[in-house]
Amino acid sequence: MRETLRAALPSVASIVTSLLVCFVAVAVLRGGLEVALDAFLAMTWGAFGDFPKFFDGASSAVLLRPLGESATKAALLTLTGLSVAVAFRVGLFNIGAQGQLVVGALAAAVVGAAVELPAVAHLTLSLLAAAGAGALYALGPALLKRYRGVHEVISTIMLNWVAVSLVENWLVTGPLRAVTSGDNSIAGTAQIHDSAALPRLVGDVSRLNAGILLAVLAAVVLWLWLSRFTGGFEWRAIGANPAAAEASGMNVGRSFVSAMLVSGALAGLAGAVLILGTEQRYPATIGAPYGFDGIAMALIGNGHPLGVLASSLLFGGLRAGGTRMQLFGVHKSFPELIQGLALLLVAARLVWLKLSAKVLPPKGGA
Amino acid sequence: MLLALLQSVLDAAPALVFAAVGATLSERAGVVNVGVEGMMRAGAFAAAAAALVMPTPLGVLVGVAAGALVAALHATLCIHARSDQVVSGMAINLVLLALGQFLLEAAFSSPSGTPPIEQLPKWLGHSPLTWLAVVLPFVVHGAVMRTPWGLRLRAVGEKPQAVAAMGVRVTRLRFGAVVLSGGLAGLGGAQLSTAVLDRFENHMPAGLGFMAVAAMVFGRWSPLGAAGAALFFAFGNALRISLASSAPGLLEVVPKGFLLALPYALTLVVLALQPRGASRAPAALGQPYDPELR
Repeated sequence: MRETLRAALPSVASIVTSLLVCFVAVAVLRGGLEVALDAFLAMTWGAFGDFPKFFDGASSAVLLRPLGESATKAALLTLTGLSVAVAFRVGLFNIGAQGQLVVGALAAAVVGAAVELPAVAHLTLSLLAAAGAGALYALGPALLKRYRGVHEVISTIMLNWVAVSLVENWLVTGPLRAVTSGDNSIAGTAQIHDSAALPRLVGDVSRLNAGILLAVLAAVVLWLWLSRFTGGFEWRAIGANPAAAEASGMNVGRSFVSAMLVSGALAGLAGAVLILGTEQRYPATIGAPYGFDGIAMALIGNGHPLGVLASSLLFGGLRAGGTRMQLFGVHKSFPELIQGLALLLVAARLVWLKLSAKVLPPKGGA
Repeated sequence: MLLALLQSVLDAAPALVFAAVGATLSERAGVVNVGVEGMMRAGAFAAAAAALVMPTPLGVLVGVAAGALVAALHATLCIHARSDQVVSGMAINLVLLALGQFLLEAAFSSPSGTPPIEQLPKWLGHSPLTWLAVVLPFVVHGAVMRTPWGLRLRAVGEKPQAVAAMGVRVTRLRFGAVVLSGGLAGLGGAQLSTAVLDRFENHMPAGLGFMAVAAMVFGRWSPLGAAGAALFFAFGNALRISLASSAPGLLEVVPKGFLLALPYALTLVVLALQPRGASRAPAALGQPYDPELR
């Protein structure tokens, strides 16, 4: 318990510090503590449910709608965060979650629109296609690393831009572009069939869909794999010290490849959740850097699947609530600043660990 | 047509050249810099914001300072806090992405960009920064390859312990290299907002920082090589833009997406084809300096 606490301390301290700094920034730039307090409260109610309104007698929609938005955002953050975290565990830095997400999203959109199947089978096939596409796209960097010694950071950065250029500047605007009635065509692929859509969980009250269940399931499965199975143990051993793992007979090269495949599949699934859950088709552009958010979630969650889930639930909430800050003259992307700052502070892990050694000395004396 | 193409390369390339040459400085000293994108963004924003209240050339200097400041943060994290250098760089990108948006909204009440500023004056039809970009790669290459400082810089990226044994302060040398790298990235960003356009726009630098990293790798970590690769990439970009207007039929055959993906795909191919172990990446790249190791 004490060890868990010590491991989580840098992340918690970073998040708290980041929230404080951003609070002061709003207070200074937007005229006073009161405005900042109102803005942050608005964000909180927008993230986790408008409890004051609810207790004033409003319907449960004031709770469900914000929670649904938060969970939708959290599902994406969790899956991309797990993608980065799983590669991290074997010591690989997968910056390519963005590219893997883009090809996964495209695969889900194509299978969702082009195939006709009964409901459950269609959804499953679309999800599998996305996971497969993401995994395949991550296979390249893994093989380049294993056989040519190319650093995965460089190769995944390159592949991100290759994916975005080819998908958004060619496929989606060219061969796969949806042609609606007559000559009027819109950028983006055709609408997916209802049978491929992730089911909504609470009817029409909120956009909440089954994506969050998928994300939680992935986090739990990954946690069990890493903590209870030999294969998961090997990954962690390799991440901690590849030379020692190699010397004790583990196949480091093969684990690099299999971990990258899982990492890519998770990023691809994130793309599927985006398309099958909210967008319903591959739009002209995905726009947001979801894959980079995944890096933030993986690191703030300290590479632990449940830590990633926890930080994704928090930041998914804040980002959904961020839209409510607009009323106070704060741009809705403000929670991304909080998130970025928290990541920057987490990066200074060593500093926090030194501090925490003073606050919580390890057993048996410092 | 060809002349017009060259003219547009002279306008578009400098930002990429500055950033790519800067990236080599940091990486030759052994500090990974994937935060170029964020540093360019800082430079672009600061230069435009400063040029609203002071002459534009001074604004450019503010942009350089902003890039250097962000780089100093990166250096502090990597060198003193011994953070993972890739993590720190990506964190800087994410922070600057959000910070730019926040400051635009807070200071100018506009989500899309700053008010227009006075552009840099033109010398011989181009901004002075264009001509600086022609000279600078040679100067930096000379400094890195031919001076005692450059020798130490390169040594610190290969075997820092050996340099320390000579009595050189490894951390100070690395810190300086990273800050210089950020200053050049900031200059590249400033070129975007004061010479290419006449304001900071929220999408800046739109991936140019990552392209600069690609150019550095493509140019095999040498300042001249990086500048050459940057020129080549910029030429490809200019060609694509001019083809879109002059020969739209060609883009039906070769889609725009192919041309956009080309610099990155080429860099990958070069990396994949080089024999194992022939990478020119500095040996100590990415490893925090630990004076206890020998």
